[in-house]
Amino acid sequence: MNKFAKWGLTLPATIAVIVLLLVPVILTIATTFDEPKGPFSTYAAFFNSGFRVNILTRTLRIALITTSISLVVGFLAAYVIAQMPGRLKSLAIIAAVFPLLTGVVVRSFAWLIILGKNGIVNDALTGLGIIAEPLSMLYTEGSVIVAMVYLFVPLMILTLTGVLEGIPRDVIEASSSLGAKPVATFLQVILPLAVPGLIVGAVLVFTGSFTSYATPQLLGGERQMMMGTLLYQRAMVTFDWVGASTVAAIMVVITIAIVAIMSRMARRLNPMAV
Amino acid sequence: MTVSLTIENLSAHYGSTQVLKDLSLSVAAGELVSLLGSSGCGKTTTLRIVAGFLQPTSGHVRLGDRDLTTLAAHARDIGLVFQNYALFPHLTVMDNVSFGLKQRGVAKADRLVRAGAMLERVGLSALADRLPSALSGGQKQRVALARALVIEPPLLMFDEPLSNLDAKLRVDMRVEIRQLQKANGTTSLYVTHDQEEAFSISDRVAIMNAGRIMQLDTPEVLYQKPANAFVARFVGFENLIPLTVKARDGANVTAEAAGGASLNLSQDIFGAIPDRFMLAARADGLAVKAVAGKGIAATLGTRTYLGRAYQYQCSTAVGDLVANGTLSEPLEPGTAAVLEPVAEQCCILAPEA
Repeated sequence: MNKFAKWGLTLPATIAVIVLLLVPVILTIATTFDEPKGPFSTYAAFFNSGFRVNILTRTLRIALITTSISLVVGFLAAYVIAQMPGRLKSLAIIAAVFPLLTGVVVRSFAWLIILGKNGIVNDALTGLGIIAEPLSMLYTEGSVIVAMVYLFVPLMILTLTGVLEGIPRDVIEASSSLGAKPVATFLQVILPLAVPGLIVGAVLVFTGSFTSYATPQLLGGERQMMMGTLLYQRAMVTFDWVGASTVAAIMVVITIAIVAIMSRMARRLNPMAV
Repeated sequence: MTVSLTIENLSAHYGSTQVLKDLSLSVAAGELVSLLGSSGCGKTTTLRIVAGFLQPTSGHVRLGDRDLTTLAAHARDIGLVFQNYALFPHLTVMDNVSFGLKQRGVAKADRLVRAGAMLERVGLSALADRLPSALSGGQKQRVALARALVIEPPLLMFDEPLSNLDAKLRVDMRVEIRQLQKANGTTSLYVTHDQEEAFSISDRVAIMNAGRIMQLDTPEVLYQKPANAFVARFVGFENLIPLTVKARDGANVTAEAAGGASLNLSQDIFGAIPDRFMLAARADGLAVKAVAGKGIAATLGTRTYLGRAYQYQCSTAVGDLVANGTLSEPLEPGTAAVLEPVAEQCCILAPEA
């Protein structure tokens, strides 16, 4: 294949990324520096507002907790699935991915029914006499995290199953033949070799939960506002376009920073990883 | 340090298929024994059972006076060299080699010294900081060898260690493996499907078929005196001719093949000859003669030039045979000739059931 053809094939995708992604993002961010009060005035305003900084730290906290829980739950599930024989493995993967067939709104809405005042959990607990009054579980950070873990674990399982299956049996056997006990083999061989998958999974879940809108809107409401819901409110309710752009710019920068930190941590664990 | 490996009455199943049938084998202290056979003969299954990766249906594995049968793989203290090297891709050459020492709780400074010395022995000191992905196949196998040797295991096992290397390197590596094994006096079990490799590296070779050992002996005995038809074919006796004794006269025996060909054989050369037997001969062991004489009447077919002789595909009353003729008189296809056994190059086998 000659040079022209090689570049030519990537051209449509390159144009799409530039025109539909890079240009709008740059234009959006550019408006935030074009303020009469000075180029960084909107950012100063954002970080001087306790309310907005609170939303930012809450969003970071929820995204990091969701990512951590999804990593552990997803890794355990993927580890078990990767050891299964062929047919059972396919079934397990289908079962794990099944929730992805419905939309985010539908799946978040399901948790409204489960966690609500008259939801399944409260009905069961009051029915069993464990509690007298229904608990208010909705519109808490907990309800948002539970729903997001549920949303993102399938992605984690998919990513990690592939990576764990790719670890050759020989290498694990070599480890135990050299005297490594199961825990040592897991910590010194399996885990480092799974790092590329853990990064991909963590990046997917972190960016997904950090930027989520529907789930915090439905399960967090006004009280547990996150960056996504704040952005929507600025743009569509108060029509503060510059404020919305500022939120967007902060989200882009933080996402890039977190992804960079994750890759750096990964490289320390496994020099083979990206 | 040097101990013997004893495998007693080992049976193994995959589902309902029996892959090992009451297999017994012992490897003396410091000895290298190869398991040789085609794929599916059970040689790798045997190795995996000894390593602890597979549980046998019945039987025992002993190393010295330790019974390994139910011990976990990581507690067996066996050095293993894999076909695909199985190096840890995320660890440097040095860390790969010192992995086993680390598991044994050896202090870091000591680990570096011992792994460094082992890398020196396999000639890889300069590559200690590389990752396996930056090594050639031969270098990878040297690292794998160093990694298995550095823990000073009482037993070393090799699972087709050279089959991913090119021909030249294979020969160099097997000499190197043999030298290291002899220098350390480590009892070794070596699995391969390559006859030349097995014969060149081993003290004794077990030729396996369908989950059993067909013969366990030195390469010399296997090559010259196979115990049965399977081993004879395996080591290259192309011609197996069924014969029946017609007359005995002291040490001399006259035997007849199908089609009436009559052969004179001496028990002084072959030892006791039973009434029904098979004569096993390589192409070298059957001489093509153009003149009439005592032997098997044959019509010559395709002639191939071998450098030291001409080889002929021959059709005879006992079936198709392969025989060699002298370079001085090339014979044309279609010529009628006689095939005479060269006694020193033939051997006598019990008839096949």
